[in-house]
Amino acid sequence: MIPSTMPGQPHDTRYCCFVVGSDCFAVASIGVAEVLRDGKITRVPHAPEAVIGLIHLRGRIVPVIDMRRRLGLPAAPPSISGTHLVLGLLDDWYSLLVDEMLEVIEVADHDIEQPSRAAPESAHDAVTGVYADAGRLVHFLDPQRIVQSLARQREPFLNRQGASHGGI
Amino acid sequence: MNDNREFIEEFLVESGENLDQLDRDLIALEERPDDPQRLASIFRTVHTIKGNSGFFGFSKLGALTHSGEHLLGRLRDGKLRLNDRVTGTLYSMVDAVRSIIQAIEETGVEGEQDFRELSQTLAAVALEDVGEPTAAPAPAVMPVAPPPTEMPVIPSPAVPVAVIPPPMTGVAAVAAVPAAPSPPAAPPGKPAAQATDSSIRVDVGLLASILDLVGELVLARNELRSIESTDPTLEGVIHRINTVTNSLQEAAVKTRMQPIEHVFNKFPRTVRDVAVACGREVQLVIDGADTELDRTLIESIRDPLTHLVRNAVDHGIEPPAMREAAGKPRTGRLLLRAFHESGQVTIEVQDDGAGIPVEAVRAKAVARGLIDAAAAAVLPDERVLQFIFEPGFSTAAQVTSVSGRGVGMDVVKTNIEGIGGTVDLSSRPGLGTTVRVRVPLTLAIIPALVVRCATERFALPQAAVGELVSLRADGGPRIEGLAGADVIRVRGRLVPVVFLDEFLGLRPTTAARENGTVVLVRVDDHEFGIVVDGTQTGGPSGDPSTPRATHAVTSMEAASLSTIVVKPIGSLLAQMGIYSGATVLGDGGVVLILDLRGILRAKDLPPQPRRGDEAVATAICVTDSYLVCRTIAGRRIAVPVDTVVRLEKFDGQELQAVGGKRLVRRGDLFTPVVDADMLLGTQAAQEDTGSVSLVVLDGRCGGIGIAVRQILDVAAADSMLQPSIAAPGVAGTFAIGGIATELLDLAALVPTAGSHS
Repeated sequence: MIPSTMPGQPHDTRYCCFVVGSDCFAVASIGVAEVLRDGKITRVPHAPEAVIGLIHLRGRIVPVIDMRRRLGLPAAPPSISGTHLVLGLLDDWYSLLVDEMLEVIEVADHDIEQPSRAAPESAHDAVTGVYADAGRLVHFLDPQRIVQSLARQREPFLNRQGASHGGI
Repeated sequence: MNDNREFIEEFLVESGENLDQLDRDLIALEERPDDPQRLASIFRTVHTIKGNSGFFGFSKLGALTHSGEHLLGRLRDGKLRLNDRVTGTLYSMVDAVRSIIQAIEETGVEGEQDFRELSQTLAAVALEDVGEPTAAPAPAVMPVAPPPTEMPVIPSPAVPVAVIPPPMTGVAAVAAVPAAPSPPAAPPGKPAAQATDSSIRVDVGLLASILDLVGELVLARNELRSIESTDPTLEGVIHRINTVTNSLQEAAVKTRMQPIEHVFNKFPRTVRDVAVACGREVQLVIDGADTELDRTLIESIRDPLTHLVRNAVDHGIEPPAMREAAGKPRTGRLLLRAFHESGQVTIEVQDDGAGIPVEAVRAKAVARGLIDAAAAAVLPDERVLQFIFEPGFSTAAQVTSVSGRGVGMDVVKTNIEGIGGTVDLSSRPGLGTTVRVRVPLTLAIIPALVVRCATERFALPQAAVGELVSLRADGGPRIEGLAGADVIRVRGRLVPVVFLDEFLGLRPTTAARENGTVVLVRVDDHEFGIVVDGTQTGGPSGDPSTPRATHAVTSMEAASLSTIVVKPIGSLLAQMGIYSGATVLGDGGVVLILDLRGILRAKDLPPQPRRGDEAVATAICVTDSYLVCRTIAGRRIAVPVDTVVRLEKFDGQELQAVGGKRLVRRGDLFTPVVDADMLLGTQAAQEDTGSVSLVVLDGRCGGIGIAVRQILDVAAADSMLQPSIAAPGVAGTFAIGGIATELLDLAALVPTAGSHS
């Protein structure tokens, strides 16, 4: 079992950095289960828009969250094939489909600042902090919040289909 | 103490098992107080706990079991005879030991509770009964015949008996489990020695990971099988790996299985306790305790079953005096039966009590506004009983004088349905009640039908699949009705259908209407069809070892049936309610498993009762599903779907008038046609030549066709039927889809139709 990410741990924490669009993000590396170059995606009809499908990873079925869609960015150009950043959250695994993986950085807690307005607005609810690293801003994401926000967004599927016939 | 940790854990686990054994033995002893072997077994068990507690220095436990052992010793030596007070004290001891064990488990120490008083009571009880004259020959050597069912109640001396339940006349007895080897037959010398030698404890997580790995191996095996080779050596190896993998998978699945005994074991004590508390006499009969099902399911059914068992004793079985007055044996009978049935496990909880007072339930349903009085009056009893599963239907003092029979039945139903099971209930006044719980064998590995739809594949649990119907444009089976009310006719039934591609948004309009395949499924009371492009054919994905591929659905290719390993899809997607999981097929592709109950909810399909041979009048009441039509004159009418044989469209000019009757010809078949408006007493435009739909009714309704302008919908009624007053041809009015609709009076129609034929 991969423990879920625990923001706010003392001392240095290792973070995996990645790029989506023109911004740099990071998640705590302790929650990262695997990084995959590719995987055949099975689509899930009626799933929340950002969930583009499922991949099979070592016996597990992993929903794939397209971070571009999640952040409201246009689809990636063909030159970007995307990378699966597979995270373990409680009992479930999720894959964040990102443009490109960057290096792992070590950051002390006290160096992380309050979330900045520089983060894309669509990411504000999931950003827990920001860190200036070699001339660029790294926005720290809480994967749990990303998933939760999708759960809230999901289409009111049952209400949409047909009128209700009460019956007894 | 820490060094002993491992041993203490073992001691705790063992003690837990010993306590369960004690419960069982004590109940058996109550039934046959002079069974020396049973008594010896109890004595040994208590002695073991005492010895172990001395070894680990648990002094309270030691003192308590010492007193218990002393009491049991007097019983064994015939110095004391079993009565309610003795058994009550012994049960208190078992409970006390259990609470100490629990305290040790949780905190590592015995806890603050004081059991000295109980020890004293045990000692005091042990000293009673010395003057009993028949005590001289030990019952162990010469059993008293016939065994007394009512022990003489010995006046107890002034000893505080706070912990002892008041002496009750209730006796809970457990009949021998017919299917399992009965403990008394075991040689008295070695208790359960073989069982301990041949089994080991394994961490559940380890078993789960073994199963996962086997699943991976199966995938690799499938890939290997698809390799084409002419090398005989390789062929041989592949064949061997194939065989071994199959056996390994079977064995791995079995490790998840446990006999239902693990749940049933607790029930003798539950029944005994509830019986004593309520003053009932109950004989519990357990059958099929060796029936196996997935251990995760065992946990899920424990609470619902306990509830049902308690209910049966508390509310089902009458007090002894009442039973005698009704001419029944004093002792009620509670039958707990488990068996495998068509890939599922069925568990029956059957009592021979008073049954459920249907009229009281009916009145309650009306009082709670679940149904209006007029409709309730004509609702058949078996349907009235289903109200018991309504949330909060009966909380207290409503149905019977003690408390509601339906307490928590909605919770039972919710829990069982949550694991893909069903609950149904039948009751006969004065004869008793049977609750039938059906649960799948396992949730982990299920036989499934893989279907194709647009570019995707989906799996449907095979347990729900009834049959497959291939659609044909050229006069074969086809989808009838108009948009919004699509149905398929299957042997005279009209079954609503869902186009999977439309439903899932895979295609804007369905492409399967003409030549797709309809998978008929049954979920609870509902039957509906799922229209797909086809079933999966060929390929290495079909698992040839599928055990039930041949007999279940004859019309489908065996290749499309697979045994699939159900994997969770994460809470985010599970919440959607239309997928119950996903699986990985042999070709490595991920396939979603459709949640048929979710589709049913999303489409809000009306229930379809099983077709019976009821009279037309009952059919009107029983059915929940109506065909809604507009007559030529524009009235909105409804016809019970299960009286409809088929729907046809025809031109007004196709009508032939023969001897004052109008007939429409289809091949060699003439169908008498009655204008719906004529039945309703409205005047229709006779010279109408527009297209007309014909609703052909079945033989019970004279096999006539009712001409209407348009078929609108197949739906359930939203309101109760308001019987009509002096409106010809109308049985009543209700709302369907929020619009007032008249129900055609078919019962009045039959004589009319009869004169036609």
